[in-house]
Amino acid sequence: MAVEAQEVAKPTPAKGVMRRSHSGLATTGLLAPPTLWLAIFFLVPVVLILLYSVNLFSLYPGGQYFTLDAWKDFLDGGPFLQLFWKSIWMSLAVSVIAVVAAYPIAYYLALVASKRKYVLLLLILAPFLVSYFLRLLAWKVILGDQGVINSFLYWTGLRAEDDPVTWLLYSKFAVVLTLIYVYVPFVALPIFASLESMDRRLLEAAADLGASRWQAFRKVTLPLSLPGVIAAFIFVFIPTIGEYFTPLLVGGVNGTMFGNAIADQFGQSLNWLNGSVLSFFLLLVVALLMGVFARYLTIRRVATG
Amino acid sequence: MAQTMDIAVSKNGKRVLNVWFAVLVLFLYAPLGLLLLFSFNDNNLPVFPLKGFTTSAYEQFAANAELKASVVTSAKVAAISSLIAVLLGLLAAIVLVRRHVFGKSVASALLLSPLVVPYIALAIGLLVFFSQVPEWFPLGMRTIVMGHVVLSIPYTILILVPRFERLDVRIEEAARDLGAGAFQTFRLITLPLILPALVSAFIVAFVLSFDEIIIASFVNGDITTFPIYLFSQLRFPTLLPQVIAVACVVMAASALILVGAEIGRRILERRLGAEL
Repeated sequence: MAVEAQEVAKPTPAKGVMRRSHSGLATTGLLAPPTLWLAIFFLVPVVLILLYSVNLFSLYPGGQYFTLDAWKDFLDGGPFLQLFWKSIWMSLAVSVIAVVAAYPIAYYLALVASKRKYVLLLLILAPFLVSYFLRLLAWKVILGDQGVINSFLYWTGLRAEDDPVTWLLYSKFAVVLTLIYVYVPFVALPIFASLESMDRRLLEAAADLGASRWQAFRKVTLPLSLPGVIAAFIFVFIPTIGEYFTPLLVGGVNGTMFGNAIADQFGQSLNWLNGSVLSFFLLLVVALLMGVFARYLTIRRVATG
Repeated sequence: MAQTMDIAVSKNGKRVLNVWFAVLVLFLYAPLGLLLLFSFNDNNLPVFPLKGFTTSAYEQFAANAELKASVVTSAKVAAISSLIAVLLGLLAAIVLVRRHVFGKSVASALLLSPLVVPYIALAIGLLVFFSQVPEWFPLGMRTIVMGHVVLSIPYTILILVPRFERLDVRIEEAARDLGAGAFQTFRLITLPLILPALVSAFIVAFVLSFDEIIIASFVNGDITTFPIYLFSQLRFPTLLPQVIAVACVVMAASALILVGAEIGRRILERRLGAEL
C-alpha cells in the first residue's frame, strides 16, 4: 500500500490532460458521491463529537446547554491528560525503535542485496497478510505466565515454579513490543522506497572524491533517505497514539492507553460528554501533527499534483 | 552495481546486516510458527512441553455453526464495502488525475484523511451519529459497511491514481475521435485497461474490512463478524487452540486467494500489455 503511495510521488511525466472540455457539472457529479460519503460518515460524526464535548448534544433529554466544563476538567491535568502523555511516550518509543530496527533492513535490501531484494522485501512484508488479531494472540501465548518464555525459564531452572516473570504480559512492555512487531514491516517499506530511488552515482562520486564509507553514508545516503524515514515515523507514531485494541488485548491495567480511556467513557462509564472531549482532543492532536509533518509526506502530492 | 555495494557497506558491515536481517525475520515469523505448532498440540492450553500431535482443534471448529456464520457475515461485509469503496475511489481518482476543478485539494485532503484518523475516534463518531438517528441507521451489517467504506476509500484512491497517471490519454481521445461517446469510451477502452488496478484495490479493501474489529465492534448491533467472534472466544482459555486453528485456516485461505488474485492480475496485465 505504501509502495503505491510512493509511486504517486514519482514525477510521472504528464501525458497531457484531456483536450476535450468537460462541463463543470459532470466533474462535480463524479466527485460528489465519494465526497458526500465521507462528509456524511466522517465529517458529520466528527462535528457531532465536538457538539457532544461542549454539551450542545447530550445523552439525557433536556440536559443540553453550552459549557466548556468538561474541557477545563480535562486540560487541568487530571488522570486523562496524564494518560494521554503516557500514550505519547509509548507511541514515541514504538516509532523510534521500529524505525531504528527497520533502517538497516531497508538499507540492506536497497543497496546491498542486489538481485534478491524484492523476494526478501516480500518476506518482510508478508506478515501483513496475517490477521492483526492472530499476531496479537501469538504474543499473548509467548509472554503469558505459562507462556513460551516463562516455560523456557522454568525448564532451564532460571526461575522457581511459582515465580513466573509477570511483567512480560499485561504491561507497558507487552504493548510496546507487540506494536513494534506489528509496525516494523510497515516502517521498512517507505525507507526502502526512498533508498531505492536514490541516484547511486552520488555514492560513487562521494567515494571518488575520497569520502570514507561512513562519510558517504552520513553526508549522502542518510540525508537522501530522510523523507522516507520521516514518512515511516509519522505513519507509526500517529495511528499508535489512538491505539485501542492492542492495549486491550495485551496491556492489562498498566498498559492502558488513551484509546482505551475513550472506549471506556462510551462503554462502561457511559460518560459521553467526557468521552467526546477525549475523542475530539485526539483528533485535534492528529490533525496538528499531520499539519506539521504534511510537507514531508508524499501522498500530499496527490492533492496538489 | 558492485561498485555501489562496495561503497555502501564493508565486508564486515555486510555480515552484520545479514545477521540483523535474519534476526528480524526470526522475530517476525517465530510467533506465527509457534501458534501453528500449538494448534496441532494435544493440550487445551498453549504451553510447553508439547503433548502430542492432534488435529482435533481443526475438527472441532469445522462443526461450529456460530463460527461459520461469523465468517460468512465478515465476507459479506467485506465484499459489499470494498465494492462501494472501489466505485467511489474510481470516481475520485478520475477527477483527481484528469480534471481541474475548484476545491480539488480540499476534496482530496478529505478523501485521504481516514488514513491517519485513529479508528477509535471514528468508531465513536459513528456510534454517536448512528444513535442520533437510529430510525435511519439501525446498528447492524449496514452500519459496519458504512464505516468500512470510509476506511477503504483512501487506499483505493492511492492504488487507482498512479494507474490513471500512467494511462495514455491519447488512446481514449482516439476512441472519442472515432465517434465513441464518453460512457462507451470508458466501458470499452478505459475500464479494461484499469481492471487490474481495480482488482488490486478491491483485494486491499476486502482484506482491510475482513480483519477490522474496532469500528465493527462499536456499530455492530447484534451482528457478529469474524474478528468479533474470535475476540469473544478468548474469554474461554480452553477454546484457544480452536481459535488458533480457525485463524490459521483463514490465514491460509486468504493467502491462497491473494496469491491467486495476484497471478490472475499479472496474466491480465501481460495480456493487456501485449495488445497495446
